[in-house]
Amino acid sequence: MVVIMVTMASRSTAQRPNGSTQGKICQFKLVLLGESAVGKSSLVLRFVKGQFHEYQESTIGAAFLTQTVCLDDTTVKFEIWDTAGQERYHSLAPMYYRGAQAAIVVYDITNQDTFVRATTWVKELQRQASPNIVIALAGNKSDLGNKRVVEFDEAQTYADENGLLFMETSAKTAMNVNDIFLAIAKKLPKNEQTGSAGTSGQGRRLVEVEGQKTTTSNCCK
Amino acid sequence: MCPALLEDDERCLGGTTFFARSHPVELCGSNGLPLTPNSITIYGRSQFLKTIEHSNLSTYLDIIRSKHERIVVVAEYSGEPLSNRNNLSLETVKKILYQCLLGLCHINKLGLVHRHLSPDNILITKDENVKLYNYGLYYMTDSGRNVSFPIGYPKYLAPEVFLGNNPNGVKVDSWSLGMIIAECLLKQNIWSGVKLAQCLRKVLSLINSETTIFERIARENNCLKTYEALPEVVKDFIDSCLQIYPSKRKTPEELLQHTLFEEFLKKDLVSKEQKIYNSVTARKMDELYYLWQLAGGDITMELKKQGLIRSRPPILSVPNLVVLLGQIFGRRDMAGLLDLRVVKVPLDTLRQRLCHIPFTANYPRLMNGTHIQAQDNLTRAASQLPLIIRERDTEYQFYRIVLYERLLQGYPITRDAIIREAHKDIPPLVRGRVWAALLNVSGDIERRYQMIDKETPTHTDRQIEVDIPRCHQYSELLSSGAGHQRLQRLLKAWVRDNPNYVYWQGLDSLTAPFLFLNFDNEARAFACISAFIPKYLHKFFLKDNSAVIQEYLGKFSQTIAFHDPQLANHLKSINFVPELFAIPWFLTMFSHVFPLHKILHLWDKLLLGDSSFPLLVGLAILRQLRDSLLTSGFNECILLFSDLPEIDIELCVKDSMAMYYKTPASITYRSHQLDQSKATNWIDPEPGTEKMPRISIKDFMNLLQNSKQNVIVVDLRNNIQFERGAVLGSINIPFTSVQLSHTDIMSLGPHAEPLANNRDSIVVIIGQHDQNNALFTEFLISCRVLRVCSLEGGIYALRSTAPHILVPPR
Repeated sequence: MVVIMVTMASRSTAQRPNGSTQGKICQFKLVLLGESAVGKSSLVLRFVKGQFHEYQESTIGAAFLTQTVCLDDTTVKFEIWDTAGQERYHSLAPMYYRGAQAAIVVYDITNQDTFVRATTWVKELQRQASPNIVIALAGNKSDLGNKRVVEFDEAQTYADENGLLFMETSAKTAMNVNDIFLAIAKKLPKNEQTGSAGTSGQGRRLVEVEGQKTTTSNCCK
Repeated sequence: MCPALLEDDERCLGGTTFFARSHPVELCGSNGLPLTPNSITIYGRSQFLKTIEHSNLSTYLDIIRSKHERIVVVAEYSGEPLSNRNNLSLETVKKILYQCLLGLCHINKLGLVHRHLSPDNILITKDENVKLYNYGLYYMTDSGRNVSFPIGYPKYLAPEVFLGNNPNGVKVDSWSLGMIIAECLLKQNIWSGVKLAQCLRKVLSLINSETTIFERIARENNCLKTYEALPEVVKDFIDSCLQIYPSKRKTPEELLQHTLFEEFLKKDLVSKEQKIYNSVTARKMDELYYLWQLAGGDITMELKKQGLIRSRPPILSVPNLVVLLGQIFGRRDMAGLLDLRVVKVPLDTLRQRLCHIPFTANYPRLMNGTHIQAQDNLTRAASQLPLIIRERDTEYQFYRIVLYERLLQGYPITRDAIIREAHKDIPPLVRGRVWAALLNVSGDIERRYQMIDKETPTHTDRQIEVDIPRCHQYSELLSSGAGHQRLQRLLKAWVRDNPNYVYWQGLDSLTAPFLFLNFDNEARAFACISAFIPKYLHKFFLKDNSAVIQEYLGKFSQTIAFHDPQLANHLKSINFVPELFAIPWFLTMFSHVFPLHKILHLWDKLLLGDSSFPLLVGLAILRQLRDSLLTSGFNECILLFSDLPEIDIELCVKDSMAMYYKTPASITYRSHQLDQSKATNWIDPEPGTEKMPRISIKDFMNLLQNSKQNVIVVDLRNNIQFERGAVLGSINIPFTSVQLSHTDIMSLGPHAEPLANNRDSIVVIIGQHDQNNALFTEFLISCRVLRVCSLEGGIYALRSTAPHILVPPR
């Protein structure tokens, strides 16, 4: 069973819908990266508050939000860092992805450049972020299918080669928004209460396999 | 009775209304964003009309958007329409004609065509002067593209308009004017009682006229006699208007050269000279309209009263049919899209409100102190009220506007007086110009702006393009097409004009308030932003600005610790560093975090301070949230700023002003600020190494001289050195005697009591080693001692610059 708790409460123990407290609580730091105006803030806003603003203002520096999801008997709390997209703010990015257990790299399916930029973000994360970070690729604005430039298969192939989760999303219609966060939540190792991921056996194994994949694909290029 | 506004002033307001074309729902533009509603497009475009000033044109005052794409236009409406006047003498007709042409020539020069000329839109004042009305409808609707109704009275429209042949040319107005005047001269309502379809046929039938059109019309209307009695020169004039082929027809400018007007042209030279003495009209129409609104005037209400706006039950607005593509049928009565009626509203409400103010109040004298005092007395009572109330007080605003207008006329000589008045408040009506004055904007700004290339594509275009549709889009002005274009030009111009800087996201937010205030004066907006950035954000827009930002945020941390050690301790303990939340604050001077109406009030005061003022604004914001911050952990704190709660901006401004005056300049000194005039011999510590600010020897000496009771001096040297000579009244706390791990100030002994009880004083640490000074000041913060700083250069600086103040304490 999957329940999204629409709450910003960030402390407290996880409350299941029936009110009883049970299961583990895991806390994960997640960072959103990607070119300007691809919809990073919109994805977060949709996920956290269920809202969508056509004229979502640009993010300067970064914004921080939290959201809690329930996965079976585990409560996963995301601490989400939503970063500024402009290339110039790049120097700030490490501050936000440092120690992150998950990242969503976003591009806009109607703009090829944003996809290229997404791939460089992925490379940077693979090089500089924690070695076992879970990376998801989100092709946003899927509601603008008639203006599509980046093909689904192209992105899927790239994601497979690099061991990324991949979905096309739409913050506007809410398509796949919760799903991508849930997919990340499922993939994250949940053996620890505090969620400083990576030390658990299961989690590490999972990520190591991907890490190897990445290396091979890089070698082939 | 209202002496302040002239007894015989016949100026009134005119209100009209129409509907903009509504887009089929769910339509997206090429960027994926919804299409801008046409009413917004019209709103943005029509702002330009407000800048048109001419004695033969009614001034545009306001454009209001309301529900269902309705637009309400407010313009000056003086006199009565030509359609109400009968039996005009030939001389009067000539005069009217002449003045109509003057008005038309003026709008033609600005790139406008009337296209809506009719006897209803030519107003004649008491002294038989013409004011053209409604000349902006065609322009504001983008040649009618943004509305679903045709513009123009069929009877007076040139035939090519119906045939779609060059309908934009200025010559369509020549035709209309010809028809209107022909009607006047024939003293007959031509084609009266003819229905619309027939009317069109009539106009088009003129194409095949064998005689001149004027003669034909006269024949058709059975007034050939009147026609024949007219002087040839008049007939010739009408003929040059009523030419079927636009190429043969004259433009308004050419018509003005017609021999008919020879006498007027001569007279004009004389009357121009006379006018210098005639212009006693004290207040401009836009001021009157502004004050009228403050006095309770509401044009929408007037339109409702007169039945031009009727509220219908919502059920009647539901469409009859919606097709899948989103097109809607039968939602609105098409005939009601444009209401030709004008509601004439006299300014009575305002007159009553200002009836006791003498006419002389329009001319404040600002020659010397007494007069300024007299002016202050007039507004004294009101000036104690909260700002928002003052801004809505008709009488107070009247005095303030009068005063500022006067000062602005004298700018730049009057700059000091403007600054003095701005410390009280700035009337919203003149804010744009006052800000420019505060920023010291002067010179030929138009030319300077014009010279900058704003068109050539650059690699920052994409970023600017995606940022603009996200920048303060709740504002009707900034979300309009005109707003987008202007903001883009301003940003491109700034980047172009500052080759050493680059476009950082946030520059858009920073420019927005200036554009908002100077929507029809891009050059002034540009001059303002060009002066604002060096003053407050020097080097912030460098390609690599990390050192600048780092220093700024470091200074911000020190400022927090200086004024609020308890808060600083807490934020430090949860590792809540300004880097995580304050970058958008300072990079945009809060324009990214507050809505425009708050930014305006904040910047009103910000502009009066120097580059350190924003640090105190930042601190004032933190202090408004202080209670929540102190009881929250990292996550709650950062969430608080991702979703900044309601900040009371007036309180925030007040707090930051108070703290600003209590903060010596050197406390907030930054090596990256533009103004380095006070930075002699300043050796900066490595950024981030000291938690507390330093004070310069100059500021310290100032404090000692001017407010000794507000300084506590702590001497960190050992007893022997202290006994040899120290600042009078200083407390000796030898550094070696301090247990740095304590967090209770009383652990130092009873002589440290003044530190514990400190409320309003600045604590200055004098020592021998920077490192020890830093450690000791940190110790004092953890003990929550207020306003601690260390003396730059320590005891050595004091010995070399002011040895005389070092005296043996006993």
